Amino acid sequence: MAAETQTAKVSGEGLDLRNLIETIPALVVCVLRDGSVELANRAWQEYTGTSLQQLRGSGWQTTIHPDDVRRFVEEWNANLPTGKPLAAEARMRRADGQYHWFLIRKALAIPPNQGGDSSLRTLIACEDINERKQAEARLHQSETQLQAFFENSPSMIFLKDRGGRYLYTNREFKSVRRVTEEHINGKTDSELFPSEQASVFEASDRQVLQAGVAIEFEQVTVQKDGQHTSIVQKFPLFNADGEIYAIGGIVTDITERRREEAALRYTEESRRIVLETASDAVVSMDETGAIRFANPATMRIFGYDPTELIGKPLTVLMPEWIRKLHDAGFRRYQATGQRHLNWQGTELTALRKNGEEFPVEVSFGELTREGHKVFTGFIRDISVRKRAEEKLRVSERTLRELTETIPQMLWSAEADGAIDYCNKRVLDYTGLSAEQVQGAGWMKTVHKDDIDKMAAAWSAAVSSGEPFQHEFRCLRAADRAYRWCISRALPLRDQSAGIIKWFGTVVDLHDWKEAQQALQMTQAELARVSRLTTMGEFAASIAHEVNQPLTAVTNNGSACLRLLANRSLDPEVLRRALEEIVADGTRASAVVARIRAFIKKAPAEKSELDINEVIQEVLALAGHELHKNQVVVECQLTSTLPLVRADRVQLQQVLLNLIMNGIEAVTGATVQSRALSLESRVDESGSVLVAVSDSGTGFGPEADRLFTPFFTTKPNGMGMGLPISRSLIESHGGRLWAAANSPHGAVFSFTLPPAGEYSS
Amino acid sequence: MTAAPVIFVVDDDPSVRSSLKFLLSTVGLHAETFDSADSFLHKKPPDVPSCLVLDVRLPGLSGLDFQRELTARNIRIPIVFLTGHGDIPMSVRAMKAGAVEFLTKPFRDQDLLDAVRVALDRDRARREQETEVVDLKRRFDSLTSREQEVIALVVAGMLNKQIAAQLGTAESTVKVQRSRAMEKMHAASLAELIQMIEKVKAPSKKAS
Repeated sequence: MAAETQTAKVSGEGLDLRNLIETIPALVVCVLRDGSVELANRAWQEYTGTSLQQLRGSGWQTTIHPDDVRRFVEEWNANLPTGKPLAAEARMRRADGQYHWFLIRKALAIPPNQGGDSSLRTLIACEDINERKQAEARLHQSETQLQAFFENSPSMIFLKDRGGRYLYTNREFKSVRRVTEEHINGKTDSELFPSEQASVFEASDRQVLQAGVAIEFEQVTVQKDGQHTSIVQKFPLFNADGEIYAIGGIVTDITERRREEAALRYTEESRRIVLETASDAVVSMDETGAIRFANPATMRIFGYDPTELIGKPLTVLMPEWIRKLHDAGFRRYQATGQRHLNWQGTELTALRKNGEEFPVEVSFGELTREGHKVFTGFIRDISVRKRAEEKLRVSERTLRELTETIPQMLWSAEADGAIDYCNKRVLDYTGLSAEQVQGAGWMKTVHKDDIDKMAAAWSAAVSSGEPFQHEFRCLRAADRAYRWCISRALPLRDQSAGIIKWFGTVVDLHDWKEAQQALQMTQAELARVSRLTTMGEFAASIAHEVNQPLTAVTNNGSACLRLLANRSLDPEVLRRALEEIVADGTRASAVVARIRAFIKKAPAEKSELDINEVIQEVLALAGHELHKNQVVVECQLTSTLPLVRADRVQLQQVLLNLIMNGIEAVTGATVQSRALSLESRVDESGSVLVAVSDSGTGFGPEADRLFTPFFTTKPNGMGMGLPISRSLIESHGGRLWAAANSPHGAVFSFTLPPAGEYSS
Repeated sequence: MTAAPVIFVVDDDPSVRSSLKFLLSTVGLHAETFDSADSFLHKKPPDVPSCLVLDVRLPGLSGLDFQRELTARNIRIPIVFLTGHGDIPMSVRAMKAGAVEFLTKPFRDQDLLDAVRVALDRDRARREQETEVVDLKRRFDSLTSREQEVIALVVAGMLNKQIAAQLGTAESTVKVQRSRAMEKMHAASLAELIQMIEKVKAPSKKAS
């Protein structure tokens, strides 16, 4: 502008051109019509480092960047004849060899008639625009980058004017909306899209225009491949006057991300549900010790609403006396990373909102999030468990006190049989210490003759799991005397029947055993007396049985003597008589032996025997009595009975007693059938059962008193038969009872355990 | 009466039975043995002097019951009891019921033989007595019914006059009937007649 004014002045005044161009503060050359340089001012020459000579003609062109020369020359040549102004940009070489951008303008054509020279001259002003050019280049580059950024963005980007006409859309937009550049530019949504869709777009545009702020919303559109959800951000663009001239938009399809989010949300939801529904309180705190999260269970356990806890120090959940410990420990942990608590399942005391302290079990977790640590505690209220434990402890203490104070010796053993506990009574009795008695230490107290059997019995019980019971002599510390004791033990089993432990007792039965022995002697004597009584009752029968052979012997002997005296003893007669004498003598002695065995005073001697044999023996013993009374015995004996372990004579006594009673019952005046029934079999429980049945008169009103000592219905009876029989059977581990027979009469039955069972 | 006597032995023990038979044979006594009272009762005894050697304890009917049964049947055979285990009440009962002896086994041979002898003697006497009664009875039966009536009243101690009054006849008729009856009965005196009538009237109808 300034140059223009000056050239006009120059031409107007027709001044010396050479001086003129020197005054112009620019690089100026004067060019002739043919384009050759006539003049160049000093600034030019200095700038380009060339002399006027070098510039003359077309030499100046050598200063233009080779890349720009051709374009510039074409432009120049095309423009010159027109007389129109020209402004071209080209890089010119400076004196230092560097090219700078210049704006080369055709400033002024100097008419030919002015000055002495008729040729038309043109002044060319060259302006260094390198800086601007560089800025422009930078801008361009930035624009290109932006463009590239927009074009390559996976989001749809667009720009609309106030009227809703599209000014710009990026590639993604056109691709998604399926439009072309030509198709879309200058069009509105209603021209491009279905009206329903367009009205939605336009509504949000209006919102932006009215509010003048950016908005963000989710938008669901239906595309070829289904429904898409996008986040749409629309924002106003303001001009220098603060007026909105355009609306920019970025549409980000988040359908893909939504799926991920949905998955993430599901995980978080699950976590949330776990936390919300957890019966344990879950509380998180940050590095400052402030609570950042609390789940609903916190309400139930602590009485705090989760929201009221947020921001409060964790220590509100602790009783006063723990707070300091916590703070110190927490600080120490943060400083040193050293844990002073077990982080898994530590039992602590917590504080409820109502001030109540209660026991909790806490597990801690630590998480670093964005460089900050978050500590989460899972807190379980264990007051119920604690109470139960306490109760158990009390009950255990009570039991222990009981085991220590109970007036009996108690012990327990491991499953393998090693003694692990003995109560004080045991220690007092044996004089051993708790340590000494452990394991197999207790064996020291057992009499040496009993040790092997006892150890065998115990190991048999331990391996079989059968209840243990054993009698042995134990050394009593108080008087250093061996005393008979009995130890019993039962196994404690778990649910799968495996043995966990043995619990046992020891009872000193020395006094009892002595008394028992005395009692047994008394009983044996009583049994003998009873036998004698029984014998007395059928003494006539016995005498008869003995006297019959004796009579025969005497008669035969006497007869022989008489014949001998008469000298008329035929040897054949004598032989026959002697044979009879021997036979009868033998017979008599057999009877006597049987009776003697029956009445002898002998201690009970148990052996395994067949009850049927005993029945046969007793039938022989009572044979005469049965025969005499014409009583028929009907036997139903089971042949394959288990053996019983019993004293033969005592069993004979019982059976004889029952048979004698039976004979008496069936020989009464009103009895029609003189028959007894004798049965032996195995009963339901596996015991051997013997029953003596009659169809006599039965018991009548005396039934209850049958087994009462000294009760008798017989004129010569002692009333001890049935009581003694019962006690004899019971001493064999059996049972004896009476029942009514059908249609009349009585059944006396007794049972005996099989030998195997009773042998212990 | 001249036939050999028989001893009946009843005992359930065969040895005792055979030894008794052997012993009795040494003094020339014949014995027949039975194993029970029943089997004895089934046998008709011979018409000779006899006695019973009986065990008190027998299967079925006991010795004492058997004795009672014989009495009931009017079988008056003398009994010698043997017992293996005698007690006083039992022996008293047996003796009261007419037992000859009550011996406890084993007994001395002589005791038994003596008892058997006594029993046989007693049986013999009984049998003689029973023969006399039969004779008297026959004589009594030969009397007319009027003579029997008269004799009955005489034995009852009535005088002839009283008898005549009772029977509604003359005293002289009673005298004649009385002397005829005495004659038929072979009675030498009133006292003898009375004895005879007593024997006849005694309740014995059967002799063994």
